[in-house]
Amino acid sequence: MIEMFGVSKVYPGGLDALKDINLKISRGEFVFIVGPSGAGKSTFIKLLFREELPTRGQIFFNGKNITRMRNRDIPFLRRRIGIVFQDFRLLPEKTAYENVAFAMEVVEASSREIRRKVPQVLERVGLSHKADAKPSELSGGEQQRVALARALVNEPDVLVADEPTGNLDPDTSWEIMKLLSDINKRGTTVVVATHARELVNAMRKRVLQLDKGRLVRDEERGVYSNEA
Amino acid sequence: MRLRTFNYFFKEAFISLIRNRWMSLASIGAVASALIILGSFLLISVNFDHILKDVESQVEITAYLEDTVDSIGITRLNSQISSISGVKEVKFISKEAALEEFKQQVGKDLLEGIDNPLPNSFRIKVDNPQNVASVAGEIQNLKGVEEVKYGKGVVEKLFNIIYWIRLLGLVIMVVFAAVSIFIISNTIRLTVFARRREINIMKYIGATDWFVRWPFLIEGMVLGFIGSAIAIGILAGGYVYLYNIVKLNIPMISLIPMEEFYNYALGFLAIGMFIGAFGSSFSIRRFLHV
Ligand SMILES: Nc1ncnc2c1ncn2[C@@H]1O[C@H](COP(=O)(O)OP(=O)(O)OP(=O)(O)O)[C@@H](O)[C@H]1O
Ligand SMILES: [Mg+2]
Repeated sequence: MIEMFGVSKVYPGGLDALKDINLKISRGEFVFIVGPSGAGKSTFIKLLFREELPTRGQIFFNGKNITRMRNRDIPFLRRRIGIVFQDFRLLPEKTAYENVAFAMEVVEASSREIRRKVPQVLERVGLSHKADAKPSELSGGEQQRVALARALVNEPDVLVADEPTGNLDPDTSWEIMKLLSDINKRGTTVVVATHARELVNAMRKRVLQLDKGRLVRDEERGVYSNEA
Repeated sequence: MRLRTFNYFFKEAFISLIRNRWMSLASIGAVASALIILGSFLLISVNFDHILKDVESQVEITAYLEDTVDSIGITRLNSQISSISGVKEVKFISKEAALEEFKQQVGKDLLEGIDNPLPNSFRIKVDNPQNVASVAGEIQNLKGVEEVKYGKGVVEKLFNIIYWIRLLGLVIMVVFAAVSIFIISNTIRLTVFARRREINIMKYIGATDWFVRWPFLIEGMVLGFIGSAIAIGILAGGYVYLYNIVKLNIPMISLIPMEEFYNYALGFLAIGMFIGAFGSSFSIRRFLHV
């Protein structure tokens, strides 16, 4: 589903954020991207949804070369990818329901479909009872659930999350990770960049470790770090 | 495009209009000013044109005859002039009749005791004011015609004035339109900044560029629309007021009735919306990055 061939990224005036990455992520996989700060995790995520273009190399998504993609096709790539960030990125003046519905409005879904699917997906992330709450009335974990619901509502092929638990306490982080795992079990490919050592160690998923832009480890059922 | 999408665009546009109400007001005011100026000059020049056509149609050609032309010659000239295309009416003024007229105009008999110095002449009216110069030229070439006179220059000068009025109106309008575009693009820029978070999210979710752009374009067009509607209202009110004053006090001038200008109103709305869309497309290109 996702393939990278010799992918490097050099930011203008910066060091190499990614160096010669080769990998394949198959449909239905759950993958952690780990590594110290500045290792290139966020850059990796950004390459997936064409926020950034690689300096060298090719990236394929569902068999399509997204490095060669025209700008006007990018929105349609992103409709296949659900994106979740550390800071939730919800619209403060909209309720939980409206935030999720917004994702469907943007892709011009019908009202009927919106009315059918939004409650469904809120149910799935366990937030039905807070549908009418605004982000300011929700806890961090609840806000991240709304963000997850928004990422899922258009039924993407893959969910990518950049430090989804970075702003959450350990218990809440666990719940979010379990939710991601559930989502994965129901068939969605999940790619998570994270610093959360305990969670990675406990979940035993595939781990890609980056260090100074290099892919230094690719391990099935791996742990956060082999050292120490 | 789905109806709900269309509703969404309008809703977003109106939310922004209200959020930036002072800038919105400034934008609307600028568009209204530009169009009021354009409209005033338009009304003046069209009316001027209309009045001028009246004046022009009254322009006569006078052809003075040589003294040697006898009554047979006069009859011949009369039929020659009548056959020139564009001539509507030919009237012979004998030197005696001319003297009578002159006496009446001056009020007393200045020329008493002298031989009548005035020549025989024809007075010619043409069907179309634009033909005056060419008809005069043809008459000049006829044998027995000594001199041809008409309101030469006057007509051309008046036409010139209309031309300059229009040009001046256009120039001022262009300046004001540029100012409107500038103000509107700044208003839209505020909206772009107020909504950059939302725009960002929309792009992650997979909104197309046009989906992101439309609310801003609509906001600009609504500003332009309101501005031009206000301009139309003020112009129409002012014109009707003036029209009635002129009609009462200067009955010999006939202005064009308001109804004749209804077609222009649509044009004005279109210009206003175009200014708005143009202004907002500036900011969309510079600040939206989509
Ligand atoms: N837009 C940018 N312009 C220039 N350099 C950048 C840019 N974004 C990231 N970098 C650099 O690229 C390198 C990798 O950054 P990246 O954000 O991918 O790291 P990360 O692994 O996500 O780190 P963290 O764990 O702190 O989020 C860093 O050295 C960073 O300074
Ligand atoms: Mg990062």
